[in-house]
Amino acid sequence: MNKFPGNKYPRKTFIVARHEFLKTIKRKEFLFMTFLFPFLFVGITLLPVIVSGVSAGEDQIVGYIDMTGSFEFPEPIRSDGLFPGSSEAKNSAIEFVVYSNISDARQALQAGQISSYLVIPEDFLETGTIELYSLEKEALMSNFELSAKLSGIVITSLLKDKVDEMTLNRVLDPVNIKSFNLEKSSDSSGRGIDDIFASFGLPILTAFLLLFSIFSSSGFLLQGVAEEKENRIMEILLSSVTPSEILTGKILGLGAVGLLQIGFWLAAVVLGSSYALPIKIEPNTLFFALVYFVLGFLFFASIMAGIGAVTSSLQESQQIGGILSFAAALPLIFLQPIITNPDSSFSVFLSLFPLTSSVAMLARMAASSVPVYQIFVSIFILLVSVYGVILISSRLFRIYLLMYGKKPKVKEILKNIWAESD
Amino acid sequence: MHILEFQNVSKSFSEKNILENISFSVGQGEIFGLLGPNGAGKTTLIRLLLDILRPDSGEIRVFGDLLSPAAKDRIGYLPEERGLYRKTKLLDMLVYLAQLKGMPKKQAYLNAEILLNSLELHQYKNKKVEELSKGMQQQIQFLSAIIHEPELVILDEPFYGLDPVSTKNIKARIQELRATGKTIILSTHIMEQAQTLCDRILMLNKGKRVLYGPVDDIRKEHGKNSLIVEFAEKGDLYRIQEISGIKKVVETGKLVEIFPEEGMNIQTLIEELVQRVNLLRFEQALPSLNEIFIETLESATNE
Repeated sequence: MNKFPGNKYPRKTFIVARHEFLKTIKRKEFLFMTFLFPFLFVGITLLPVIVSGVSAGEDQIVGYIDMTGSFEFPEPIRSDGLFPGSSEAKNSAIEFVVYSNISDARQALQAGQISSYLVIPEDFLETGTIELYSLEKEALMSNFELSAKLSGIVITSLLKDKVDEMTLNRVLDPVNIKSFNLEKSSDSSGRGIDDIFASFGLPILTAFLLLFSIFSSSGFLLQGVAEEKENRIMEILLSSVTPSEILTGKILGLGAVGLLQIGFWLAAVVLGSSYALPIKIEPNTLFFALVYFVLGFLFFASIMAGIGAVTSSLQESQQIGGILSFAAALPLIFLQPIITNPDSSFSVFLSLFPLTSSVAMLARMAASSVPVYQIFVSIFILLVSVYGVILISSRLFRIYLLMYGKKPKVKEILKNIWAESD
Repeated sequence: MHILEFQNVSKSFSEKNILENISFSVGQGEIFGLLGPNGAGKTTLIRLLLDILRPDSGEIRVFGDLLSPAAKDRIGYLPEERGLYRKTKLLDMLVYLAQLKGMPKKQAYLNAEILLNSLELHQYKNKKVEELSKGMQQQIQFLSAIIHEPELVILDEPFYGLDPVSTKNIKARIQELRATGKTIILSTHIMEQAQTLCDRILMLNKGKRVLYGPVDDIRKEHGKNSLIVEFAEKGDLYRIQEISGIKKVVETGKLVEIFPEEGMNIQTLIEELVQRVNLLRFEQALPSLNEIFIETLESATNE
């Protein structure tokens, strides 16, 4: 008999889920972590770019006097000493301005119009020497980029009309190695070093995001359970809903929070990395990344909830939760052997074992083509494990949620887990 | 129909018996007292009837059926260990708790507004629980137990820690609930409250049923069957002693307690008295629940 007809019993799970979702996304800790992380990530990935940009100096303008009269410097070249200010020109760190004599160049240098000037002597072809004059020591020392640029200019100028363009290009950029893997016939597409980095990027990133999400969302879950235990509202909740409804509701609610967070982070990462990292997202990889993320999250969140139910204080639950998060991070340590040897029995084991399968399988899929049956076996094992831990956790919920203060013994917990279900 | 029925219910935790073979029933519209010292098993009994715990043996029926999730929606519960979401707005929390009891959101909002109004707490509806005074929090806790219009309300120590004004408010609420036909189970160890509020009681001690029945019957059973009288002239005492069938007369200050012999009706005794002395007042001496409670516990300890 239902007092409010039309309100079916599973709806309560969603009421709990919605409550947990709304409560969590309003938390200061959540907002802080969700919004700060992308800034940190973007900051870390962009930092080298920014730092190198700064050290390269703002728009180096180098004057030159070509005494041989045979070099072609790239456009735009301004002979009048006016500075190029267009945005396109700013992309190139070094610009060249031609001067007809040394005293003009020296004057421009002293006036701060150029950072340095080059003198290409008449006997350059014999000696290969170009003189660089500057007022600052730093400019003289950091001339690696300048000399690379000059080499290109010299080669182009010398060979321009003597060889065809193809030969010229080979002289400028002689070799690009593209590697192929013949072990797997299906993997016939060649991978450039950028491709490999791009396809590894996503699994590694997903692994990190999965971990971060476990740290934050299951942390909130633990905290929520411990708080509800501590301020005794748990008893009211249990008088309305079953332990498994609370558990499922919490996991769904916080899972949604985790997905929201991940979505936000991924967007931030893609934005940030479009400047710094070449990450290519293939729909296939994205799909499995999502599947493994959801299952992996469910698996760990259920375990966390069980821990939250058994432990008697917030502090204690967080300590145990921390150990578990470390276990989740283990595949990251084994990432190197998995990627270099994706089909070894060790790699296969890690990609099937539920504690590590999410991250390990994604890594294997990036490094080689994994047999389809293995993917399905791995997902199946994970699914069964998720079901198992939810079952155990809800049993622990029922037994321990209302036990305050007393710390249960491990043996007793195990006995209760295996005890006949009532 | 019994609203609640326990039949030979036992529950133990790690081989320690918390409840032993408990049977009782609660009828519709009753205020039923669940009494007993701390550790008697009251909270365990309540958790059993809320399906938070399962009995080892025996049968529990609520609203005539075996316990089911749907039945839980028709029960309201105020736990002894008070708890609310401290950082949630009052209105939102009440609505959430009502929704968990299966009440549609719209109706939950409506009920919350009405109840807050009735306790003059309406202006706090958007405040967080932690911003309220302790007395207000207690009243909010009570509201959270009845917002979904339950047919059976379980109140575990509802007056614990309440100031006199809040106590009065809650007491009035309980009587209001009963007037609308709701059934109330009141767990308490304050016997005066139980005596004035409850129709029937169940007293537990160390997991065993020691007293069960209507409050009046229990008091009569435990009565010493004596009459306390006060009369105008002290000299009249000898006239009382003339009445046949009196076993003993004890004088305590102004009052005189008369113990009739077995078989002597109290009613007859009063009639005899009226004929002989100028009675100022008389009163059948019934022990308070408190006295019975202490007496029962003491005899249980001596066993």
